[in-house]
Amino acid sequence: MDVVAIDISGRHSVEGTYLMVCASVAVRISPEGIEATHGVKLVPQESTSLDLEVIVELIQKATEGFSGMVVAERGDFYNLERWRAKSILGRDLKYPESLGERKSIELAHHISFAGRNMLLNLGADLRPNILPNLLANLQDEDENTEEDG
Amino acid sequence: MTSGETAVLLIRENLRGESHPERKEELRGLAKSAGYEVLAEISQRRGRDRKFQLGRGKIEEALSCGPDKIIFYNPLSPGQVYNISKEFDVQVIDRFNLILEIFASRASTKEAKLQVELARLSYRAPLVKVMESLQKLSERPGYRGSGSYDVSMYRDIKSRMAKIRAELKSVEDRGEKRRQRRRDLGFDLVALAGYTNAGKSTLFNTLTEASVTSKDQPFTTLTPTTRAIEAKGRRFLLTDTVGFIDDLPLFLIKAFRSTFAEIVDADLVLLVVDLSDPPLILRDKLVACHEALWDCNCYAPIVTALNKVDRLEKGEIERRIERIEDLIPNPVTVSAKERLGLEDLIELILEKLPPQEEFEITLPNSEEGMSHLSRLYEVAEVLDMEYGEEITVRLKGRQEMVFKALKSENPDTFRTKVSEVSHSEVSETSQSETSHSEVGGPGS
Repeated sequence: MDVVAIDISGRHSVEGTYLMVCASVAVRISPEGIEATHGVKLVPQESTSLDLEVIVELIQKATEGFSGMVVAERGDFYNLERWRAKSILGRDLKYPESLGERKSIELAHHISFAGRNMLLNLGADLRPNILPNLLANLQDEDENTEEDG
Repeated sequence: MTSGETAVLLIRENLRGESHPERKEELRGLAKSAGYEVLAEISQRRGRDRKFQLGRGKIEEALSCGPDKIIFYNPLSPGQVYNISKEFDVQVIDRFNLILEIFASRASTKEAKLQVELARLSYRAPLVKVMESLQKLSERPGYRGSGSYDVSMYRDIKSRMAKIRAELKSVEDRGEKRRQRRRDLGFDLVALAGYTNAGKSTLFNTLTEASVTSKDQPFTTLTPTTRAIEAKGRRFLLTDTVGFIDDLPLFLIKAFRSTFAEIVDADLVLLVVDLSDPPLILRDKLVACHEALWDCNCYAPIVTALNKVDRLEKGEIERRIERIEDLIPNPVTVSAKERLGLEDLIELILEKLPPQEEFEITLPNSEEGMSHLSRLYEVAEVLDMEYGEEITVRLKGRQEMVFKALKSENPDTFRTKVSEVSHSEVSETSQSETSHSEVGGPGS
């Protein structure tokens, strides 16, 4: 089964702002684990609020371009019922049930956590400009590598 | 076991949530399993009442039946237990406490008794703390004379918990050593896991010809039992474990850590599922099992035994499997009672266990070489052997076990030659053509 697991790191205030990084991983899972990883995406966002719209927008950006059902921890959607969270997100969503789904969220968690740490190490002044460029460069490098290969 | 006591069951359902008739059934099963005679079942759809969990009227309705105890499905806070028992003068317990009562009545070994006591104390500790603070509200300072507060009960509980934890730690260590010794003897470890009353003990008895107590009631098994199985030349140990249940509180999982360690340390987990459960309940139970396995940090491969298929028609079996296929790794349909599908199950277990490889080993024809040969016999299946100036053995087993058996106490005395050969190589390549790589004792 193809799913897109997401996790958001940094949902706590630092000097009045929320410096969040959402990681999404497109994976093929079995009931007991991850079989293949199709893609990984990191989306950073600075915000002054943690409203549901902000979170949903961040998740939408992070999952854009990946096909499959979105799998997220219930807490990411403020413990909303699945049908409600699904209609707000505008695509198929489920909360984790199997070991495979839990492991894919764990993978997304490690990636978002590491991504946020990287962002913090860059420093406040550089953050807004450098990270998007860095990610764009990484994508370009991947494309070049694929072409070379 | 509580016998002859009467109880009324109370369930609060969420205002917005779906109705869960299976919860009522589960609570009834647990109450009967604990030996209560159920006088009535009362449910209410409402938000949580901070003081009594349910409305006062519903509790009065329950008391009108004249029960010895009232049992709540929903977890009660220490304050709610205090309020209900003070206001209505009745014994009150919740589902967790009921599970603990069952565990206490069935615990037969020292380990199980310690685990139950730890779980009970973990549950009681915050309750006692709140009770003490509530009782002291109007009596400070000078409560119990000489100006000191009576906090000894809470302190006693905490110190007893620390003592039990230390004792359980030594039990855990012994369990770990036992599992390691079994591994050293060349056994693979397979643990049975699954929701309570899924038929784990019945399957265990059928597979091992053992006579472990198995009944149609939750939590029949509390202490792990292990038996050896030999199938197609491979030996493995099957362990029957305590069943999972939905919303198992963390303290209960922690208390039973040494039991769950059998699952965590297994080479393969055999997840037993009662396929005859209604589809929605079946799915919920499977999710609870996955959650418990996740909480236990279980990373072993899983084979799912879909049990009790004798109760269903063929078309229905397929329909149900389709609905739960995202939750059943490596499924195989069985009926432990009617002995159906057991061969397929064993076949799948052997396939998913860590692979066995074939080795060709040359040992010196000396006393030490013979002692290594004897150890190799214990951990692997010897396929062929030739005696000459040296002893050449062809055997099949797990790599780490074979290498461990070959470890020499005095590595300088001789060197052991080990070469891995695949099935095809063995049949096609002569011994002289096989390349030998040297693997010796620790010093080689």
